[in-house]
This record gives sequence, structure tokens and C-alpha cells, in this order.
Amino acid sequence: MSTEILRAPLDPAGLPHEAALAGAPPRVTGHGAGGPAPKRIVVGYGFWVFLLSDVIMFSSFFAAYAVLFKNTAGGPSARELYDLHNTALETALLLTSTLTCGLASIAVGQRNLKWTQIALACTGVLGVAFLTLEVREFASFVARGAGPSRSAFLSSFFTLVGCHGVHVTAGVLWLGTMMAQFYAKGFRTDIRHRFLCFTLFWHALDIIWVAIFSLVYLVGTLPPELLP
Amino acid sequence: MTAESPETLSEYDYTAGSYVGQDRPRGAGPPAGGHPLRAEVNGYLLGFAIAILLTIASFWMARTDLVYGPALAVGLLVLAVAQMGVHLVFFLHITTDPDNANNVLALAFGLLMVCLVVFGSIWVMTHLNQNMTQQSMDELMRMQG
Amino acid sequence: MLGKLTWQAIPFNEPIPLISGFGVYAIVLAILVWVWRKGYLPYLWREWITSVDHKRIGVMYCLLGLVMLLRGFIDAMMMRAQQAMAFHGNGYLPASHFDQIFSAHGTIMIFFVAMPLVIGLMNFAVPLQLGVRDVAFPTLNSVSFWLTAVGALLVNLSLVVGEFSRTGWLPFPPLSELRYSPGVGIDYYCWAIQLSGIGTLITGINFVTTILKMRAPGMGYMRMPVFCWTALASSLVIVAVFPILTATLAMLLLDRYLDFHFFTDTAGGNSMMFMNLIWAWGHPEVYILVLPAFGVYSEVVATFSGKPLFGYRSMVIATMAICIVSMTVWLHHFFTMGAGPEVNAVFGIASMIIGVPTGVKVFNWMFTMYGGRVRFTTPILWSIGFMVSFVIGGLTGVLLAVPAADFQLHNSEFLVAHFHNTIIPGVVFGLFAGYTYWFPKAFGFVLDERLGKWAFWLWVVGFWVAWGPGYVAGLEGMTRRLQHYDNPAWHPWMLLSAVGVLIILAGIAAQVAQLVVSIRTRAARSDVTGDPWDGRTLEWATSSPPPAFNFARLANVTSREAYWDMKQQARTTEQPVAPDVDYEPIEMPRNTPTGFVTAALASVTGFALIWHIWWLVILGLIGAYATFVVFAWRDRTEFVIPAAEVARLDRANRTARAEYIEEPA
Repeated sequence: MSTEILRAPLDPAGLPHEAALAGAPPRVTGHGAGGPAPKRIVVGYGFWVFLLSDVIMFSSFFAAYAVLFKNTAGGPSARELYDLHNTALETALLLTSTLTCGLASIAVGQRNLKWTQIALACTGVLGVAFLTLEVREFASFVARGAGPSRSAFLSSFFTLVGCHGVHVTAGVLWLGTMMAQFYAKGFRTDIRHRFLCFTLFWHALDIIWVAIFSLVYLVGTLPPELLP
Repeated sequence: MTAESPETLSEYDYTAGSYVGQDRPRGAGPPAGGHPLRAEVNGYLLGFAIAILLTIASFWMARTDLVYGPALAVGLLVLAVAQMGVHLVFFLHITTDPDNANNVLALAFGLLMVCLVVFGSIWVMTHLNQNMTQQSMDELMRMQG
Repeated sequence: MLGKLTWQAIPFNEPIPLISGFGVYAIVLAILVWVWRKGYLPYLWREWITSVDHKRIGVMYCLLGLVMLLRGFIDAMMMRAQQAMAFHGNGYLPASHFDQIFSAHGTIMIFFVAMPLVIGLMNFAVPLQLGVRDVAFPTLNSVSFWLTAVGALLVNLSLVVGEFSRTGWLPFPPLSELRYSPGVGIDYYCWAIQLSGIGTLITGINFVTTILKMRAPGMGYMRMPVFCWTALASSLVIVAVFPILTATLAMLLLDRYLDFHFFTDTAGGNSMMFMNLIWAWGHPEVYILVLPAFGVYSEVVATFSGKPLFGYRSMVIATMAICIVSMTVWLHHFFTMGAGPEVNAVFGIASMIIGVPTGVKVFNWMFTMYGGRVRFTTPILWSIGFMVSFVIGGLTGVLLAVPAADFQLHNSEFLVAHFHNTIIPGVVFGLFAGYTYWFPKAFGFVLDERLGKWAFWLWVVGFWVAWGPGYVAGLEGMTRRLQHYDNPAWHPWMLLSAVGVLIILAGIAAQVAQLVVSIRTRAARSDVTGDPWDGRTLEWATSSPPPAFNFARLANVTSREAYWDMKQQARTTEQPVAPDVDYEPIEMPRNTPTGFVTAALASVTGFALIWHIWWLVILGLIGAYATFVVFAWRDRTEFVIPAAEVARLDRANRTARAEYIEEPA
């Protein structure tokens, strides 16, 4: 085993040389074999853990929504309010933006600035279109007297879906910053790491939207006797 | 050595596209049977197509008579979970690769937490609400004057 | 223009907060002026405030925790005095003030004493024990610390500008809703916790990544020190549950600010949902605190018994079991709220099961000491005090886990005695043990042993005199948070409790004296080798204090007790120092003011949110975005330490060690 070659000299302070590990296998994941993992793995993993924590935060809002779903306080219910055509359109926009984001990450892998910026711009436009539809939906609810102050159900709806919308907004801002950084500094390593985090973020937002359109909009419009 | 940019001092070259955890030492070529451009693009397109199918299936299922009524909510949940899986595999590249083990474990931990929070809360709150009778609700409202 | 903020916010008609508040500000101002006049400000800015070095950040966290311990302890003394006096009388504290004090006491002790100290020890020791140079995300580490400091700042600001919450350390609705708490107290609490909670979540992510992805070559999972395993478990729990806290407080804030109805008593709100969610966070939180303390005990007991830790594998399994099961017991905090027997039974059984892995750990520590040559230094005294006292606290916990028993004891003084019995001997003693154990590594000199032992005995005796009576009073029917009472059976216990807190005060005085005396005589007690305790883990392989890069070269780990085995080999083969080796230049991350600037903006934004100064909130948020962009636009993120400098520092340490190794073991 390669550790034989690397056995420490008999000096507690004579810790062996990092360069001696040059013969180590190329896949260094940090699980002990070759020392700390390369920065890309560290950054990617850290951001993945952050995304999971964000999903847990969303699950708290989902839990509140599920518990408060029937508390309409005499006001409008989900079945009366949700417009599934709007939801379908929002879903199509966000799903397509996930595809363009994936294509952007391929372009970054190929170091192609033109296609990176085009794909990112499409992603941004689709994201903004999604947000526009969502804001219009919220505004229409408020105009009908179904704002978040009307009932606990509506509070939980606006918070859950609104929190997702806030995340998408932050994502669009981040996207703009990434486009500016690629333009100004090219495909430097740390910018590509940051972009990796952005793609993870954007894909995760679509995953959460899958849960929202299924469990909030589609389940919400089922007839009351079929609700769990 | 002077303070060069991090690019030159690090040992590994991260040119492997969008994959988390795909790295190779400086100077080495792409891994054998690696990920050429066409395969990567096709991966995303395939994931996109399956996701669209699952989305359409969900919307269709919500308004059809063909599915047993009380199973609709569960069916929608199943389709949602399936589509999340598609996203994870095709877009986030969560695989069964041994180097990916930490990512999968973290995902499993996250899923456990989500189930505990959501289903735990629903279970607890349902019981609490059941035991809050209308009479005690009325007393509560009266006490607040 | 200034929202709700007016001159009425300053409590001119309440002498106690006014005088204490302005007294504290005077002291802080005096210190700042002294620092400035002595010319320390550039040094402090360069080496500490903008530092991204985990060792410096760890020290700052511990300093924050220790200073806030004094504030929280003053609150404790005020409460004990009130409860000793307020028998058939009103004591000296009006009810509204007493309520703020017990709320502030709990909030400060959990969020701004225990959490910073735990995170501070993890920060300092984990990268050193793993044999690496820093954590995964050093700049985010700095941001975490400064955000925690923001929370502490806001809570202390409430003493003089406005008021604090009166709802206890967890703001239960409907009392915490706007209708029943229209003042700014709850808002101070919520924003302080939200902002520092972001910092804590980032810390959790940082340590999970560091421990799983960054270790010395050869250090597989089963070769990590147990402190790193407990830090991992604690960080996993942080990542899992702090989002729940963020979401729940966000819902409460939405209710208060935007007239939402999550937890209100009108329009369909459900207050019990708050209870459910907040305890889903709140129970795992105490395991976040206690797991690293258990890790400290593992290190201390092994080192001072001169034996490897008994049952390493079962320790690891027990730690991860506690990590998972801690998320399944939260309803035991509200057994009496009507969930019914089926639900109560499930959570009651889970709450009993969680005692088992802790029992495994206690046996492992005892078996480590058995057959070893125990050196009775201060850290091991804290550990033994913990083992004896905490077991009792844990047993009362298992007692409370029985729903039928809990129906009698819920929210009584028995409960208060139980949780102090687990937190003080469990968490606080562990923090004091870790503080004493790692102090020489951080500062290069050992703390005074005699005063340390005095501190220990005063704390242990004082703790039991203060909290033993709590159990009795609780069993005699006394409920918690009483501003006054008429039952004569409780009065003697409250008097005894007040005496106990004075004994603890003497213990704290001994600790302050220990620090002052040790600093004064530091030349005589300096740690030249970096290994003052004949340690077993890698942090003792480098100098005290370690150089910025921790280790000149990363160790090659071939066994569980990496450093101990290296030392044994050196002793048995009588080859203390190897011939000179190649040194390479080392890259380290640059210091940055990002953390401090983020915190300054967060403080301003938090304050503006509390007082409804909306234009300032918007400015603060724009500033936050600008800070991210400026930080992201940096071109030079690292600096290089030349090989010659690395060589110089390393050689100095190796010379000192050679002399040490030559002494008989």
C-alpha cells in the first residue's frame, strides 16, 4: 500500500512532505486517502449541504401549509382561487430555464463565452417571466380580498410560494452577477466554482417548484372529499 | 514563488463541465469513456423530456376520472417524487458512484428531516386539533373577550 | 423618519436598566478609548477583526461567550434574589421587569454563551485535530462569528433602547403576537436570533464540509479523534434544524409585521403549530450543545488517563445515534398540550431511548479511566464532576419522559432544575474543561492550576446548592418563572438556592482571577514544546500557539492516535529528530473585512427592522448585496508564506521538542 512509501520519519515533528503524495490516485475525495479534497469538491459539497438545509426550511413552510390548509376563516379556499393554467405556464417556464441553465454549464465546461452568455440570458429571461406571472397571481388574489391577512390558509400559501419567489429573485440577481463576472474576468477557477454553486441553486429551485405545483396547486384543487 | 493566481498553484484542473466531483490531475487528458459534449447535452435533453412527461402526467391526473379518487393525492406525490428524482439524476448528477457517496448520504439525511418535519407535524397537529373540541374553542374565544 | 423610535425608548424612569446599561456602555467606551490610545487598533483590525484564521475566530467566539456569561449570570443573580425575597411580598423587581430578565437570561445563555463557546472550541480544535490548515470556507467562518456578535449586540442594546421580550426564551404565541405584545421586545428577540441563526447555519455547513472532505492524508473516518466525530454530529444537527428555527420565527415576524395569521388567535391561526415547530428545533438544539462537550470529555479523559479512549467504535455509533434520535423526541416538551395518549407514548418512548447512547458514553469514559494512571488536573476534575452530576440530570430527564409524570412536573421548578442539571454539568463543565485544556495551545502558556481547582469545587458545590432545592420545590408544587409566591414550603428552598448562586459567583471570580494571574505570570508557565499535557491527538504536534498554517507539512496518519504513536516510536527508537527535510511555500487565505462589514450592515438593518425605520432597512439590504459583489470581485484571495519562513517556524519548534522527547516518558 502506498502508505509504506510515505511512512513518517521517526520525528514527531517530521511530518512527511505533501509532494510525496504525487503518486496518489487522482480522485481525491478527502476521505483520508490523499489528504484534503480539491477545492471544487469542497465548494460543491458545501453548497449541496446548504441546499439541503434550504429544503428543510421549505419543508417547515410546507408543514405549516398542510396544517393550516383548511383554516380558511370563512374566506376563499384553494379550489376557488388557484388558476391551473397559470400554474402550468409557470411550470413550463421554470423547467425550460433549468434546461438552459444546464446548457450554460456545458458551455462553461467548454470555455465558450458566447454560448454561456446566451444560455444564461435565456435562463434569466425565463426566470423573470416566471416571477412576473407569480406577482400577477398574488396581486389578483389581493384584489379579490384573498390577501395573506385574510386567513391562516392564505398566510401559509403566500409565505410558501412567496418564499420560493424570493429565492428565484435572488437567483436572478446572482445570475446577472455571474454574467458580469464571466464577461469581466473570463473562466477563472473561482468564478467557475461560484457558477457551479449557482447551477446547483437554480436546479434545486425547480425541484422545489415540482413539490409546489404538485402538492399546493394540483392537490389544492382536488374536490374536498378527495383531500388527504 | 510569488503570489500567483490560485490557478497555477493548485494541483488539480477542473475542466470537466458541470459535474460535481469530476476532477483530474493537471496535464491528464479526459477520463477514458469520459463526457464528450454531445453526451452531456443529450443528458440534459433527456432529463428535460422525462420531466415534461411527468409534469403533463401530473396535470392530467388531477382532472381525470380514470384514477381511483382517494388515491389521487398520493399519486400526485409519487409523480412529484419521481420528477424530483429525474432532476437530481439528470441535472444535479447525483449518481451511485462511490465518490458521490457523501452527496447521496447528505440527500438521504435531508429527506429524513423533511419527512420528520412534514409528516411529524401533520400527525401531531391532527391529534392536537382533534382534541381541541368546539366547546373548549368557544371557551378560549370567550376568554379573549 | 425614525419609525417607532422616540426618546421614550430610553428607560429614564427605570433606574436598574438605566444605570446598568449606561454603566456597561461606559466600560465599553473606556476600553475602546484605551485600545485606541495604546495604538492597538491597527493590530486588532489586521490580526483579529479581519482574520479568517479558524484559531483566531475560535478565540473570539470563546471571548464573546465568556463575556456574555457574565451578563447572563447577573440576570441569574437578580432572579435568585427576587425569588428569595418575594415571599409574601413583591421583591424588588416589578413583574414586567422580572419577565424581561428571565427571558433575557435564557436567550443569552443558550444563544450567546453556550453556542459561541461550543462553536469556538470546535473552530479552534477541529482543523488542528484533523491535521489540516483551516476550515473549508474561512471567510464564511468570519461572517458567522460576526453575525453571532450582531445578535449579542442587539440583545444588549434592548437594555437601554426599548425593552426585551417578556415571553421567556422561546416566544410562544398568542402572547408573542402583536395584539398581546405590541412593544419592540419580541422584535429584538426575533431579529437577534434570526441574524445570529444565519451565522450558526453557515458554521454547521462549514464544519460538515471540513470534517467530511478535508482531513490529513491517511485519516480515514475511523481514525478521527472523537471530538471531531461529535463536532460532525453537532454540525449535522445544526444544518438539519436551524432552518426550522428560521422558518418559524419568520412566520411569527410575518404575523407581527404584515398581519399574517399563522399563530394568531383569529382568522384561523393555530398557536400550537408554533409550539410544534419551535420544539422540533429546540430539542435538537440542546444536543447541538452537549455533543461537542461530550467530545471534549472524551479527549480530556483519554489524555489524562494516559490510555486510549475505551470503546472508540461504540462511541462513534452512540454519537451518530444521538444525532438521529434527537430529532424524534420534540413533543416531550408539550406532553400536556393534548396530543393524546398514542402520540405521547411514541415520543415518551423515544425520549427514553435517547438516554441509552449517552449511558454507553459514560461507561466508556469510566472504563477509560479504569486501569489508567489518572492525573487529577483541572480538566479531568471538570470531567469527573460532569459524570457524577450529569447522570442525575439525565435520570430526571428520563423521569420526565414518562408522560404521566410529566403531567405533574411540566413547567415546575423540577423541570427548571432538570435542564440546568443537564446544561451546567453537561455543557458548561465541558466548555470549561475544553477552555482549560486548549488554552495553552491557543496562547502558549498554561492556566494556573490552583485557581482552576478552586473554581471547579466552587462551581460544583454551588451548582448543587443552587439547583438541588429546585427539585424539591418542584415536587412540592412550585411552578417556574414566579415573580412572587405565598407558599411557605418553598421559601427555604429559594433562600438556599440564592446561597448556591453566590457560591457559583465565587467560582466565577476564581476563574477571572485565574485568567488575570496566569496572564501576569505567563513567562513562568509558558508551553515551549506545544505539548503540555503529553497529548495524543494531532493538535499537540505543532507549536503553541500554532503558526498560521498549523502544520509545516500535512501529517501522514497511519493509526487512530496519530500523534501518540509518532511519539512512542520516537521514544522507543530513540531517534528524536530526523534529518532536515524540504520545506515548501504554503498558500493561505487572505484576511478580509467582509465578515465585519456584513455584521455592521446586519446590525443597522436589524435595528431598523425592529424600530420600523423602513428606508434604513432598504439601505441595509442594498449594502448587503453590494458587500457580496465586492467580495466576489476580489482578484487576490490567497497569499503565500515563503518556504524560508515555514522552515524558520518549524525548526524552532522541533528544537524545543527534541529536548522534551529526550526526557523519560
